[in-house]
Amino acid sequence: MAERVLTVCPYCGSGCKMNLLVENGAIVGAEGAHGVTNEGELCLKGYYGWDFLNDTKLLTPRLKKPLLRRRRSEELKEVSWDEAIQFTASRLQKIKHKHGANSIMLTGSARGSGNEANYVMQKLARAVIGTNNIDHCARLCHAPSVAGLQATVGNGAMSNSIVELENTKCIFVFGYNAADSHPIVARRIIKAKEKGAKIVVCDPRFIETARIADLYLPIKNGCNMALVNAFGNVLIEEKLYNQEYVAKHTKGFDEYKAVVARYTPEYVEKIAGVSSAQIREAMRIYAAAPSATIVWGMGVTQWGQGVSVVKGLSALALLTGNLGRPNVGVDPVRGQNNVQGSCDMGVLPNFFPGYQKVTDPEVRAKFAKAWGVPDLPANPGYCLTEVPHLVKQGKLKAYYVMGEDPAQSDPNLAGIREALEEMELVVVQDIFMNKTALFADVILPATSWGEHEGVYTCADRGFQRFNKAIEPQGDVKPDWEILSLLATAIGYPMKYKNTKEIWNELRELCPLFSGATYERMDGLGYVQWPCPAPSHPGTQYLYDGNKFDTPDGRGYLSAAEWIPPFDKLDEEFPVILCTVREVGHYSVRTMTGNCRALQTLADEPGCLQINSADARKHGIDDQQLVWISSRRGKALVRAQVTDRANEGAVYMTYQWWVGACNELTVDHFDPVSKTPEYKYSAVRLESIKDQAAAEAYLQTQYNAMREKLTNVVGN
Amino acid sequence: MNKLVIADPGKCIGCRTCEIACVLAHSAADAMVRMSPASFHPRLMVVKTTTVSTPVQCRQCEDAPCAVVCPTGTLVLRNNSVEVIPSRCIGCKSCMIACRFGVIEVLPCEATLADWPLSSRMHVEAVKCDLCEHRASGPACIEVCPMKAISIVDAIVLAEAARKRREHAAMVQAAFGPGDSPGQAST
Repeated sequence: MAERVLTVCPYCGSGCKMNLLVENGAIVGAEGAHGVTNEGELCLKGYYGWDFLNDTKLLTPRLKKPLLRRRRSEELKEVSWDEAIQFTASRLQKIKHKHGANSIMLTGSARGSGNEANYVMQKLARAVIGTNNIDHCARLCHAPSVAGLQATVGNGAMSNSIVELENTKCIFVFGYNAADSHPIVARRIIKAKEKGAKIVVCDPRFIETARIADLYLPIKNGCNMALVNAFGNVLIEEKLYNQEYVAKHTKGFDEYKAVVARYTPEYVEKIAGVSSAQIREAMRIYAAAPSATIVWGMGVTQWGQGVSVVKGLSALALLTGNLGRPNVGVDPVRGQNNVQGSCDMGVLPNFFPGYQKVTDPEVRAKFAKAWGVPDLPANPGYCLTEVPHLVKQGKLKAYYVMGEDPAQSDPNLAGIREALEEMELVVVQDIFMNKTALFADVILPATSWGEHEGVYTCADRGFQRFNKAIEPQGDVKPDWEILSLLATAIGYPMKYKNTKEIWNELRELCPLFSGATYERMDGLGYVQWPCPAPSHPGTQYLYDGNKFDTPDGRGYLSAAEWIPPFDKLDEEFPVILCTVREVGHYSVRTMTGNCRALQTLADEPGCLQINSADARKHGIDDQQLVWISSRRGKALVRAQVTDRANEGAVYMTYQWWVGACNELTVDHFDPVSKTPEYKYSAVRLESIKDQAAAEAYLQTQYNAMREKLTNVVGN
Repeated sequence: MNKLVIADPGKCIGCRTCEIACVLAHSAADAMVRMSPASFHPRLMVVKTTTVSTPVQCRQCEDAPCAVVCPTGTLVLRNNSVEVIPSRCIGCKSCMIACRFGVIEVLPCEATLADWPLSSRMHVEAVKCDLCEHRASGPACIEVCPMKAISIVDAIVLAEAARKRREHAAMVQAAFGPGDSPGQAST
């Protein structure tokens, strides 16, 4: 009889509660549990994404023992934990003494590790090493949402909850593909439609949500700021905005109006590729709804103007009074299962846990006192997208990567590879061998989701506990324990009994989370921060009573001039490459790539979504292998001819090795958030005559890479 | 009337969770461990055209062309569905040619794959949606679909749907006042 272990899915930010079925110490299945967001449902990743825990070796071997090499020219060898920890500690200290604490960069993990481990990681960075150079993959993703919303309404997270999405009267989808990113959120959108909500979708591709939309704007790649300004223009010129709300609860209207004045729908038609009538209709629907919610994703944030566009979307909600009550809001749907949590835990160069600024002397004093150190670094640290550039400048010497894979997910992979090679020390702490670990001097094997417990924060600020279902195989340790051993070896004694102890420590330091006790999260417990006291019920929606978390309590209207995309199209590179997700794999695929069912559905080299007209023009047939190259690199990919893709643009997902789209993507960043412009790289397509040779080449490359990673671990 | 499993394209997001569930529901207990593209044959298949996303599967036709053309009596109308008697199948593929929906396949039996090529006979069977009659909790695809886009439609469900639509039609007709209806002489 199988035992049921209640936990939270480790993949996307929907926060699905699920039961792992455990028999004789092994997981044999998964079923949905009645969590707040998922109500018993799961997608294929939740149902069939657990067998990587059986070390299937489909893609990569599980890390089971610490590995070390004292010179890069040598092979990594198995060592004891003592030796690995001592080595890491002494090397970090050497580098700190020689080049300063700020020559070291660390990451937290937005995935399996959990909030407690992330809290310990940023504590290690700040209290033990003495740097604010701590960041994580939100930098590649929703960092613009955090920055843009903090600036305009005061809180960088979803203002309203996933459960409310089915009750809003209008869902305004901008650059977000719920079907592929968050099936459980797509479920709410479908339910909203059943209840009569209007759906408006702005996207270059005819995504699943566009199929059920009342209005679909097939926008041109790269028009975001111009279009959002035009929306503001329509709201003002057609007097669709809530004048009383704007007067009472916002500021900056006159400056905002001045900027959007020239972005008339007629002016923006050519930039956005949609008619002025459609632009007007979109806002008429949005403004007419008694309640309306804007949801967005990477289509907004992975651009050089991501922050400004987020501010612009925030302005639309402020102008129409769609904040501060149920079933409305500004909802950046956070991608990964614990990316919201990583931000919450201060795995950010400018924030302590609980969004308390590193530049605030009182905050620093509070944390310094709690952590028993005389002081803490006062200046914001580096962002992880700056790493290649900083290494070139000689400013970074060491990289400690926990639960992330920058050699797969950074833009312009050639750049990060160079940087990793150049570094004096690369430490990788992870569960599976991955491409980043190929550059490591020391590899620290951690326990995986399923093998440890803790707290995740899902996309709508909901804390939930996840539980241990099986014993880990191999000589591995939980992330927080590894970091504690390291801290102690460096000279800062750190020892926790369990994750609850860590959680209680951070609760005391974070007013926003103080009331979220472990007990309240028992079973299907779900506590949404802000939750300042144990008696506080948690906060389903923000800004109640239209009190924004800004210094004067008002929302700030902001618009900026449109800047065209950075990577220029020309005769040599005439096609736009945009990166997207697919529903059956998650992120860099270290986990789902080792799951049989998920690998059966999708494997190397990944798909290139291409419009049929473009395919014909390039002489490419459906399912043929194609070369794709940019100013930065080249990749092999399989054509998937579909008219859901727009002409002139092609779409790839980012988890493949042979079909690695990030070999091609441009390392151009938003100046504030430092998030890369993944959504627009200039590329060239080349059809391949000898398809048989190409298929053979694909298999050779794939097998070579698998072997390379396997040989490192020696399995 | 036969019952059938059918999806609502308005709710489908094309995730293919149903396909995996279908394969597992028709495999041995250790299927997860042995799953591969070569052995992956779901009885419902997600189709994405430019405008539609939906799984398609057997309609359990009342006058099933597959049953009509089958020369060995492999396909029979029984238990309110079109059932397969696998031992009778000779793999002539008439059913595949006849099926208007493209939802029946002739596939090698698992047993054959196990001892091929020692055995000289290729044991095959016609494979199609069987309403998961063998499953206590019913169709696996219905159970797993996160959008609850798939359902069983039988005579009762159809009758209820038709009744509701007729009610709605009646209310629309009620918009006409006396003498307003086309074809009526005005008083």
